[in-house]
Amino acid sequence: MKRRSILSILGATPALLAGSRLEAAQKSKHTMHSSDAGDKLTGLNPRGIPPAIKLLPMAPRLKTLDGKTIYLISDGFPGADHFLNQVKIWFAKHMPSVKTIYRLKAGGFAADDPKLNAEVKANGNAVIMAIGH
Amino acid sequence: MVTIAFHDLAESNAASRGVPDLRICYTPHPVWGKTDAQMYAYLEGDDPVTHKPLMPEVISALTRPLSAKDKQTGEMTPSTGPKTFTDTADNLQKYYMDNGMTDFMPIVIPTEEKVAAMLKGTSHSPDEMVGELTPARGAFPPWKFTVRQVAINAVMAGATPDYFPTILALAASGQSALFSSTNSLVYAAVINGPIRNKLNMNFGIGAMGPFSQANATIGRAWGLLSKNLCNGGLPGQTYEGSQGNVINYSNLIIPENEEASPWEPLHVQKGFKKEENVISLFFGFGIQQAQGGWGLGVKPVPHYQEAMVCNCVPFATIFGALIVADPLVASGLVDLGYKKKEDLAAWLQPPR
Repeated sequence: MKRRSILSILGATPALLAGSRLEAAQKSKHTMHSSDAGDKLTGLNPRGIPPAIKLLPMAPRLKTLDGKTIYLISDGFPGADHFLNQVKIWFAKHMPSVKTIYRLKAGGFAADDPKLNAEVKANGNAVIMAIGH
Repeated sequence: MVTIAFHDLAESNAASRGVPDLRICYTPHPVWGKTDAQMYAYLEGDDPVTHKPLMPEVISALTRPLSAKDKQTGEMTPSTGPKTFTDTADNLQKYYMDNGMTDFMPIVIPTEEKVAAMLKGTSHSPDEMVGELTPARGAFPPWKFTVRQVAINAVMAGATPDYFPTILALAASGQSALFSSTNSLVYAAVINGPIRNKLNMNFGIGAMGPFSQANATIGRAWGLLSKNLCNGGLPGQTYEGSQGNVINYSNLIIPENEEASPWEPLHVQKGFKKEENVISLFFGFGIQQAQGGWGLGVKPVPHYQEAMVCNCVPFATIFGALIVADPLVASGLVDLGYKKKEDLAAWLQPPR
């Protein structure tokens, strides 16, 4: 799976990264487009202040899914429930020892659902979450 | 598992929440409206990113041992680049544009001098924190911003210092004009109070068109700050509107024609004093024009009410509807018995 480097996506989208490129260019002897004629101006950076990002370690992985319980969680977008039902059918057909449990997450797609999280921790071994529509 | 349409959004969002290498597998898009057989075929097919069988990828994501990077902890603050950029005017235009800081129209280069002049339009300190903005509440962690950073965007938009308090108020609302949704939404700001005259805003002919510096640049500044102050407006990442909307260039800035309206001004309806300056925000799909009061009066049009209701219902079921009436139309409606705005609203929402 193609992944961007950590710096390219930690809030540092192409627009943000570009600032670093300019900074590097300005530190060098050759400013960008140095062949262009004309007086130089200094413009200010219009960007706001991003929050610090707390890096979260991923949950430990399972050695095998045999005999494990996987929660299939929908974020509530249309079609996710039907899609996850097909995932459930797929496991039943290809990996029948895996138990799957479907749940609809409370709140908006990005909202936390502490009650469901607690249930998963108590009863599940892994989660597959479906996002999109 | 994420549908491929949300690839960039999912990865940038996971990163901004501290899990840059979150294990995400992709299905074709959409799942909505597909049959069970079609969705099952997705599962038996390939992940459109890796081009490997999807479900084995899912199982691998759950069982593949974590790398050291997967386990990392700590904190980092993303860079937003240097505080200043120096080059020729033409090169700076290109630089600001190429790096996602504009609306792809030429800007006024925000030099220190121009920003200082803009800051004279407010009594607030340049380094005062104004508030927070996010491209979509809940989906993206909000960014903070100062009065100075709002002023930089105001200069870029071509605004004058007189307009700055209004722009600052829009920024302080915490509402992005480029809200990220697969719907291509637009935002409107209704302006009430004496500020409309002070800024020489256009609330006459062509009020919502490109015919007034105040209307145009205040709206444009709202759009630019919605990009720059919160990393918004990046298609596929922080902007998902499938078709986009031309109104996003300058947004809908609507100074109410209080002087000519037969009805109570909006801000007075909401409990403010007439002499207070108030901005009211709205959002929706866009503008739909319709025939005015003529259909009700001089020559009644068959099924006119049904048609007007149909104009509103598709929007109103989700957002409500903002009705903007020319004062002539509004006066005609009063003559026809719609003495208050509420009377017209009731007509547009007949009991079912």
